Amino acid sequence: MDVTRQIRDKARELLESKAVDLVIGYEIGTDGLNARPVFVYDTSGVDRLIFDETCTHNLVKYLLNKKDNKVAVVAKGCDSRALNMLINEKQVQREQLHIIGVVCPGTVEWGWGVRSESRQKRCDSCTNHTPVVYDILIGEPVKETHVEDYADVKELEAMPVEERASFWRAQAESCLRCYACRQACPGCYCIDCFVEQLDPEWVGITIAPDENQMWNTIRAFHLAGRCIACNECERVCPVDIPLSLLNRKMEQKVLELFNHRPGMQDDTLAPLNTFKKDDRVGIGE
Amino acid sequence: MTRIIDKQELETWLNGIAQKKTLIAPRKVGDLVLFHPVKSAEEIEFDFDNTAISPKEYFFPRTEVLFTVDGRDGVSEITPARIEGETVIFGIRPCDARGIVLLDGPFLDSPPDALWSQHRNNTTMIGLACNRTVPQCFCTSMGGAPDDSSHVDIMLRGDGETFSVEAVTDKGRTLLEGAQLRDGEARYSAPSCSTDFSSEGISEVLKRVFPDPYWSRLADRCIHCNMCSYLCPTCYCFDVRDRRREGVIERIRTWESCQSRGFTRIAGGHDPRAEKGSRLRQRFCHKLLYFAEQFGSVSCVGCGRCVASCPVNIDIREIIKDVQELGARVG
Repeated sequence: MDVTRQIRDKARELLESKAVDLVIGYEIGTDGLNARPVFVYDTSGVDRLIFDETCTHNLVKYLLNKKDNKVAVVAKGCDSRALNMLINEKQVQREQLHIIGVVCPGTVEWGWGVRSESRQKRCDSCTNHTPVVYDILIGEPVKETHVEDYADVKELEAMPVEERASFWRAQAESCLRCYACRQACPGCYCIDCFVEQLDPEWVGITIAPDENQMWNTIRAFHLAGRCIACNECERVCPVDIPLSLLNRKMEQKVLELFNHRPGMQDDTLAPLNTFKKDDRVGIGE
Repeated sequence: MTRIIDKQELETWLNGIAQKKTLIAPRKVGDLVLFHPVKSAEEIEFDFDNTAISPKEYFFPRTEVLFTVDGRDGVSEITPARIEGETVIFGIRPCDARGIVLLDGPFLDSPPDALWSQHRNNTTMIGLACNRTVPQCFCTSMGGAPDDSSHVDIMLRGDGETFSVEAVTDKGRTLLEGAQLRDGEARYSAPSCSTDFSSEGISEVLKRVFPDPYWSRLADRCIHCNMCSYLCPTCYCFDVRDRRREGVIERIRTWESCQSRGFTRIAGGHDPRAEKGSRLRQRFCHKLLYFAEQFGSVSCVGCGRCVASCPVNIDIREIIKDVQELGARVG
């Protein structure tokens, strides 16, 4: 039985029995080629649900707007790690959720009006095709083969300092501060984001390289040890800023210092959200 | 017979312009094509669909200083910002040029915005008719056309090698002095938009659909980034703030969007558009209803940037269709 069929069957069952108020999944978008998120509130909408390799969006983000509802959500491997991250940080309640886990075949590059054949970069370094938390698992768990070497991060770090600085400067110049990266990110849920606080004013509102660089850097710090590598921030960026390089650098560092991979368990806080006496702090070591 | 220019002569003319004025043109930046200052015609990308970001930022920059206050000697001196020098934008598409002219409505309405007026007066727009359309294009549904010359100073239509030259305004005629034009025919045929629908009467229908739960359901999907507003050629909301730099205070304005949380939050904390649905509705009602009521035309030009770039496929064409259908039911 194909994945789409199984998702629809489960959604129908959950809505009919009123086990959930709504199902968050994917449907075909207006280009007729690529998926988009869909919210299904009753069984009449169930047949809109689909699953294919264009289902890139991390639907877990939407749970933050539906805290008063019982929700079923379709979650791929990376998305499921976001669920654990939010459960750990007490932003969603596990018992309010029905997680329809889908073994992910990897998703393709996203472009409206274009059906891409090429896999997203994030999927090449994925070690979680199978969701880590779910109520029902659709698909057969796969054996993970990727060995992470952070080649992209190392390549960037090998650049001379001036070259690296000008690389990031160019990225900061193109940033529009549209905050699509933040809005797509399941880890960004502050009611008052630091970038919009007035007192203290951490960052001004100028859309220009200095403050843009500050914005992107601080956001990466806030996700250190929390980013679950869905890479939605990079996908949604209208000016193609390679945000994964920042996030993966943080990921590499947290793994090295704390042996922590975010969102793998539902009972482990991120190292930088807590403190242990034997934490390595990088001072005098 | 029309007046035409060959590509080589066109580049020579543009190079001449670049020596005296700021020349802005489509340029390749990574995988994107963006309007960018260019020093030479060699840098210009002639073969492009449309730029990723609209050219409105050369009239309404992302961030702009409005005036400075220098109080260092105990006397406050206010200096309004001035736009120096002349700018020529080459390669502007008819949809985007129409967007700029539409924004004259709010910006030049009394009292006129000083900086917008100066940008407009100092800038000449050279239009380049589209040779092809992409699936997100829908200018013809919003009253435009891929070769419409109504809103530029000079219009070029051609096949990439030879272009017919239409001097639309006096500003355009002046700029053309010195260009090597000749009599002849340029090969050009206007493409048709793959999407074509009627948006007529949408303003009236929107009034009826205003209270419908449709908007909050649609907003379920919207992630409320500011991308659509920032890429849009006709979104013009801004925020204003003062900043101090070495004893001099600058008042700046910077792009803002009705989609962001807190955009309408007022002193005391009340936010009349706290709901996601009311924020999303605002964007479409502003474009298709309020702007039309104030300035006589809907303000979507059908460039399709929001359609193609929205991370979650909020598609204004689908919304117009949905609203028309809903309106027919509640009407």
